[in-house]
Amino acid sequence: MTDEREITLTINGTEHTLEVEPRRLLVHAIREDLDMTGTHIGCDTGNCGACTILKDGEPIKSCLMFAAQADGAEILTVEGMEDLPEATDLHPLQEGFKAEHGLQCGYCTPGMLMAGKALLDENPDPDEETIRDAISGNLCRCTGYQNIVSSIEYAADELADRTATDGGAVTAEPGGGDGPGADDAEAVCGQSECCGGPDADLFERDYPTEDTDT
Amino acid sequence: MSSDHENAPEADTEYQHAEDDGPQPEKHCGHGRGGMGEEVSRKEDKRFITGRGNYVDDIKKPDMLHCEIVRSPHAHARVKDIDGSRAEAMDDVVAVLTAEDLLEHDLATMPTLMDDTQDVLVNEKVKFQSQEVAAVIATDRYTAKDGAEKVEVDYEVLDPVVDAQDALDAEAPLIRDELDDQEDNHIFDWETGDKDATEAVFDAADVTIEEDMNYQRLHPAPIETCGAVADWDPGMDKMTVHMTSQAPHAHRTLFSQVSGIPEHKVRIVSPDVGGGFGNKVPIYPGYVVAAAASFVLEQPVKWVEERSENIQSTGFARDYDMTGELAATEDGVIEGVKVDVLANHGAYNAAAQPTKFPAGFFNIFTGSYDIEAAYGSLTAAFTNTAPGGVAYRCSFRVTEAVYLIERLVNVLADELDVDPAEIRRRNFIPSDAFPYESATGWNYDSGDYEKALDKALEMADYEHYREEQQRRIENDADKLLGIGISSFTEIVGAGPGEQCDIAGIEMFDSADIRVNPTGNAVLRIGVQTQGQGHETTFAQIVAEELGMDVDNISVEHGDTDTEPYGLGTYGSRSTPVAGAATAVAARKVRDKAKSIAANELEAAEEDIEWDRESGEFHVAGAPDRSITITEIAAGAYMNHPGGEEPGLEATNYYDPPEMTYPFGSYIVVVEVDRETGEVDFEKFVAVDDCGNRINPMIIEGQIHGGLAQGIATAMLEEVTYDDNGNVTGGDFMNYLLPTANEIPNFDTGHTVTPSPHHPIGAKGVGESPTVGSPPAIVNAVVDAMNHAGVSHVEMPMTPDVVWAALDDAGLAHKPAQNVEFEFDGASGSADD
Repeated sequence: MTDEREITLTINGTEHTLEVEPRRLLVHAIREDLDMTGTHIGCDTGNCGACTILKDGEPIKSCLMFAAQADGAEILTVEGMEDLPEATDLHPLQEGFKAEHGLQCGYCTPGMLMAGKALLDENPDPDEETIRDAISGNLCRCTGYQNIVSSIEYAADELADRTATDGGAVTAEPGGGDGPGADDAEAVCGQSECCGGPDADLFERDYPTEDTDT
Repeated sequence: MSSDHENAPEADTEYQHAEDDGPQPEKHCGHGRGGMGEEVSRKEDKRFITGRGNYVDDIKKPDMLHCEIVRSPHAHARVKDIDGSRAEAMDDVVAVLTAEDLLEHDLATMPTLMDDTQDVLVNEKVKFQSQEVAAVIATDRYTAKDGAEKVEVDYEVLDPVVDAQDALDAEAPLIRDELDDQEDNHIFDWETGDKDATEAVFDAADVTIEEDMNYQRLHPAPIETCGAVADWDPGMDKMTVHMTSQAPHAHRTLFSQVSGIPEHKVRIVSPDVGGGFGNKVPIYPGYVVAAAASFVLEQPVKWVEERSENIQSTGFARDYDMTGELAATEDGVIEGVKVDVLANHGAYNAAAQPTKFPAGFFNIFTGSYDIEAAYGSLTAAFTNTAPGGVAYRCSFRVTEAVYLIERLVNVLADELDVDPAEIRRRNFIPSDAFPYESATGWNYDSGDYEKALDKALEMADYEHYREEQQRRIENDADKLLGIGISSFTEIVGAGPGEQCDIAGIEMFDSADIRVNPTGNAVLRIGVQTQGQGHETTFAQIVAEELGMDVDNISVEHGDTDTEPYGLGTYGSRSTPVAGAATAVAARKVRDKAKSIAANELEAAEEDIEWDRESGEFHVAGAPDRSITITEIAAGAYMNHPGGEEPGLEATNYYDPPEMTYPFGSYIVVVEVDRETGEVDFEKFVAVDDCGNRINPMIIEGQIHGGLAQGIATAMLEEVTYDDNGNVTGGDFMNYLLPTANEIPNFDTGHTVTPSPHHPIGAKGVGESPTVGSPPAIVNAVVDAMNHAGVSHVEMPMTPDVVWAALDDAGLAHKPAQNVEFEFDGASGSADD
């Protein structure tokens, strides 16, 4: 209904040019115009944080910003986490949410991951109170937050381990870094309270197609 | 309420996992097969942590239209005229729908789950604020909204009534004047128990106590609101509705009944669901409007609520005004319980509970106690508020019942000056009394209440905090300490078909297992996860029962075209009912596998044994002659025994013989600030018993989440209305969900008392924490002020409410007058 204008958004390292109405919310541009539906909408009033993304490194609620306001910005969404330099298969935060059971229905999870990422970029070794403060703009109805806090602590520890292993070479620059390799923790079964046997990867296990002893 | 069921299998006692004080189960790391009791990492996580989930609002179809609903700003008003012409004149608006349009297709009304009739779009009269009046269909979300603003509705505003007591007044405005036999706002009266016997016990009792308490109106408020994408296929004459549904099959039947489209031409798909908590059990007008619009326009139509629409128009929970009484001996042995309830059901009777239970399972209000006589009465009223009465993380009003009895027991303890832990001990149903029939007719399956309480007391360091509490009272400390206990019993797993039905359909559930030639399997179930982790836990049941690795089992749910019929997930019924169906279906597969094993091993079928430990089949007396399920699967398709059907699959529809009765003890220690009324959680201990445990990690996660919702209930949440029927707590600015800053860390523990009638000895668990924790929290806050005579504080216990209670009891600390404040180095007094 209103004149559209052309904007450029660099999302997860890829530049997109699109025509938007001035009133179009950033979250709708991301979800509906660019089909990246990992970022969610839960409240329309900026309370729930399901739409949290990083804009030029800062966590913002993308339902409270017009797409046009983000013209020229570098944006990170959940879809970009696996490609960050500190990620192996997954980003340590993603690994943490899985390992610590930091999600149930998954709806708030992308926003929580973004809030966690913003925190760890700023403060690599946060205490519990700091973590709780950092995610206090993100509502979760399923987990009671305790395991989300643990998930972020897991990621902080994992990133610290990698930094130590790499001599501090982890960088947040897109395309920078060569990706940390397998760390010591993966030499044995990586799960806490486990049997202490050899590692079984979180997702990619080899299954015997035949398992016969006859 | 027992029943005989030929379908009910014997409980399998071959294994007992996770004994309460035994070693904790291993995390699943590829070294066990991921069966019962293992902390298997969740199969569903990967798509959620990588942004690949697929929720309703993520669905995009070619030529998809968007629906925006025009809602009434008034709570009670006659609609004199709707003019949609200005909207229809807009370029990208495709249609404006009103009740008149829906009447043409016989879709103007829809049945509620309690057999009332609700307008899909208002026909004549608005009965609550935000009720659906018209719908605008446009090519995009923004234009649909623009169009909705251009629809002009002429209202004749009527006097509303929002309070249930006021609604029953003879002078109150009549809300449901369209109903022929409705002359007032009274819906129904309900009674339970034995009135005369209970009165006799009260007349003869040493001690009686009484307390009024309100269970405020809540909303489940899942972070994902409700929504649908309806897609009518005129070539196939088939309606597909992707919707936020906790009960896809039941919704298919209801959709078919409402629309007249034959049920085999209706497909409901519930994709990833962003939390439900009971909110997504009913059918709402938005779903029907989207389907009607798709049918008329022959294009897909998306409707997704905004948050305020969700809270203001979809199913609320609770809203029970209760008066409870106990009769007891001077030693604190409870002999009788009485309760009287006034229930606000809103503008339609749209509660979500089994048809024969208009007050749900509220008559479980004898709780964990052996009480001789019980009587309850309830009156339900229409008001000019949103319709509802859904079970918000609750098995049909058990939450209200548990709150009532656990508060009353504390009031009695206070009256007799007996420790709240001790008074519970004196009244628990003894562990050797199970199965136990309660005074209101429920047949409890198993329990050991004292054991759970003892464990919780020890974990909470109860005696230490009692001493600390006394010390603070003596020292007139700024922060008082309160200790609250709740020893609750839940009733979950609805339910036996002869007792429980939804719209006539018995509340069985189902499982269908198909083992593939290469030895992996697909399990399809009739229940629908909204975050509970079914794709993992149900696979674990199959892994346990078939000797298969959990990673080789896929679980499918939520698509009525492929899944067996089931009643869905709510009331903690998935594990008790569909979990049982899964175990029984797996055992059927195992039976067939034995004949294939016999064929492969060249032995007689009766000589084939299955070993649970190894998960393999072998010849009796010759463990070396063994065969795995993988090899058997190959045999079923490539070398099947003559005279038998090829393939390896089984289906079970499970009608549970009884409910299951999980229980637990929660202990909460709070600090109450005498100056501000703020409440801080010092310690929060939750000991739960849900029988045999499938996945301890997932159970603990469920407990955490439910406890957070219990805190939300006790401390923050309430849907409020003003006298004009305006919703004043209808969005996340005003309906306060707790953040990470309001929720403490929880200490969880468990005991294991298997259900004797469930095939794997399991009970439901997801709702226990929401049901059990609010009374523990209120008991704690009251306990902090109890020495000054406070016997009750109403929820939500916001700081102003707590401060008022402190002030009434003479406990409030007030700031000294003329306190000096400093602002940027300059000083002044508060009175300046």
